[in-house]
Amino acid sequence: MSLKPSPELRPSPWDALVILLIAALALGTLGLTWLNGGASGQVTAVISVDGEEIDRASLGTKETRVYQAGGYTLTVSFSPDGVQVLSSDCPTQDCVHTGTIRRGGQSIICLPARFVLVLEGDSGPDAVDAVLG
Amino acid sequence: MKRYLALFLLLALLTGCGSVSPEKAHESIQVIAMDTPMLLTAYGETATKAVYAAEDVIRELDAQLSRTNPESDVSRLNAAGGQEIQVGKALQILLGMGLDCAAATDGAFDITMAPIISAWGFTEDSFRVPDPSELETLLESIHDPGMTLVTARDCVQITEGYSVDLGGIAKGYAADRVAEVFEENGVECATAQLGGNVLAWGSRPDGDPWRIGLQDPNRPDNPEGFAGVLALSNAFAVTSGDYQRFFEQDGKRYHHIIDPATGYPADSGLRSVTVAASCEDVGGTFDLPGAMCDAFSTALFVMGEEKALAFRDEWNAAPSNTPFDLILITEDGRVVVTGDLDFTLDEESGYVLETVS
Amino acid sequence: MKTRELTRCALLTAMALGLSYLENFFPLSAAIPLPGVKLGLANIVTLFALYALGPGQALLILLARCLLGAMFAGNANALLFSLLGGLGALVVMALLSRSRRLSVYGVSTGGAAAHNCGQILAAMLTLGGTGPLYYLPVLLGVSLFTGGLTGFLTACLFRALAHTHLMKG
Repeated sequence: MSLKPSPELRPSPWDALVILLIAALALGTLGLTWLNGGASGQVTAVISVDGEEIDRASLGTKETRVYQAGGYTLTVSFSPDGVQVLSSDCPTQDCVHTGTIRRGGQSIICLPARFVLVLEGDSGPDAVDAVLG
Repeated sequence: MKRYLALFLLLALLTGCGSVSPEKAHESIQVIAMDTPMLLTAYGETATKAVYAAEDVIRELDAQLSRTNPESDVSRLNAAGGQEIQVGKALQILLGMGLDCAAATDGAFDITMAPIISAWGFTEDSFRVPDPSELETLLESIHDPGMTLVTARDCVQITEGYSVDLGGIAKGYAADRVAEVFEENGVECATAQLGGNVLAWGSRPDGDPWRIGLQDPNRPDNPEGFAGVLALSNAFAVTSGDYQRFFEQDGKRYHHIIDPATGYPADSGLRSVTVAASCEDVGGTFDLPGAMCDAFSTALFVMGEEKALAFRDEWNAAPSNTPFDLILITEDGRVVVTGDLDFTLDEESGYVLETVS
Repeated sequence: MKTRELTRCALLTAMALGLSYLENFFPLSAAIPLPGVKLGLANIVTLFALYALGPGQALLILLARCLLGAMFAGNANALLFSLLGGLGALVVMALLSRSRRLSVYGVSTGGAAAHNCGQILAAMLTLGGTGPLYYLPVLLGVSLFTGGLTGFLTACLFRALAHTHLMKG
């Protein structure tokens, strides 16, 4: 086999171009995740009814969504400040009373509607894995 | 956290890193069954298979043990009018264990409380305060259902007029069965949260114990309002508290833990009782530690602090019993922790920590 | 493939596996609190093979390294991570190395960045979400340093081997 030409072993000015390109990419993706995640980190709301996942929503932008579940209607607001059930016509109103959740692992549950909203994301080593009570 | 952890472990595999075991992908599902939200999380290659198998087991138990489903074994037994009927293994096991627990706790736990629980409206969420005379009548048809159980024919019979409610033991039994599913599937790290019942199977994937938050009874609406955090591995833990289900009428609070002696919500000076037992110590008198923890958390709430601690001493002294530990939260603001439980009080909760050997 | 080439590829594969193992002893995560950050020392072998033996044999060595590494780790997830990372690095380095203006430093830095992108992609595929993207900016920043380091080590390797039997083919 033929010997390949030996590469340039000392840094050349052109190397700076590669480095700048990667640095730009890093800053670009940083901006992107920053805008998306905001202060709440990288949290995604996963909504399921009767164990079936029906929707996912990021907490990046302010919006309100309406879900039909188990014969009830739940209005949920999503924003970088957290998620909350604004109103529900369920009899117990537990989902509304839960208030705003914002950290990964927290959830809002509406038993009559069999509606479960869980925030998925990283919450640090001090987070609890399960709750008694 | 889970995603962070999974990412770390998966990336660590790149170089065949030997310090942590591989295949730490995880699966987490939410299930609503037995009238309560449940969360099952497992790590490892078999995680997906294991959590869905666990869901199947829970749904099957729900179908057999629910009091609100007229087709269930429990509903059929309660409607049998004293006749012998055929039922599944789960009900047979729980009837036997329920009566054992009633005997062990001197009646503080009672599976025949169904008529009284219904009178208070806790079965159907139609709350009301029953008349004292009504309760007095109902108290006559509880305690001893005169059960005959013929396991060879899967047949069971109880005295006419009695009915059973397994709400105080079924979720714990479900936790036992979930542990079985994890075992069968070779799962090493998993948690199952079945209402107030927690199964901390193995440890966290990084080898640390699972961190289990204990709900502060004074802040039941705050999902992060913990009295403290309990570090657990390979264990069941169950909490019964007066804040879990209650209603208010004429300025008075009525909670769902009914004292079988009076027919009224237990007024024992406790806000919550947590019972924890290892899931390795199976094979004792009660080889279903999850169901045992569930039943005892109710019974010891009814007993109150002094009797509960004495009951634990007596129970753990018998070598054939599966030993358990306790966390009691009292009305006067104390958290009493027994044995070697690794419990860290949340200083902001304002409770005073007491330890008992 | 000649016996000589086969032997050389096997030797380099073994080196790459050895380097992969070696970097466990320099956990970058101790200094940077981010999971999965690796020196990417095995990229030295890919880079060296790319220049000395050409892309074809570099690919063979890479595939052998990934398969054997996954076998030692005993799982298929590791294969996806090392394959996507390694292939990303190889493709980018093969393209960059065609430019005679870039030194081994520029090529290896580009490779390190591509390596980390590949790993993030693998994490996204495995976890089924865009969560891992969160770590991309930091991993890209780190790749500037790891790329420089592997470039330096590769340059040392070339200098040391410049007059040996191995380089003369």
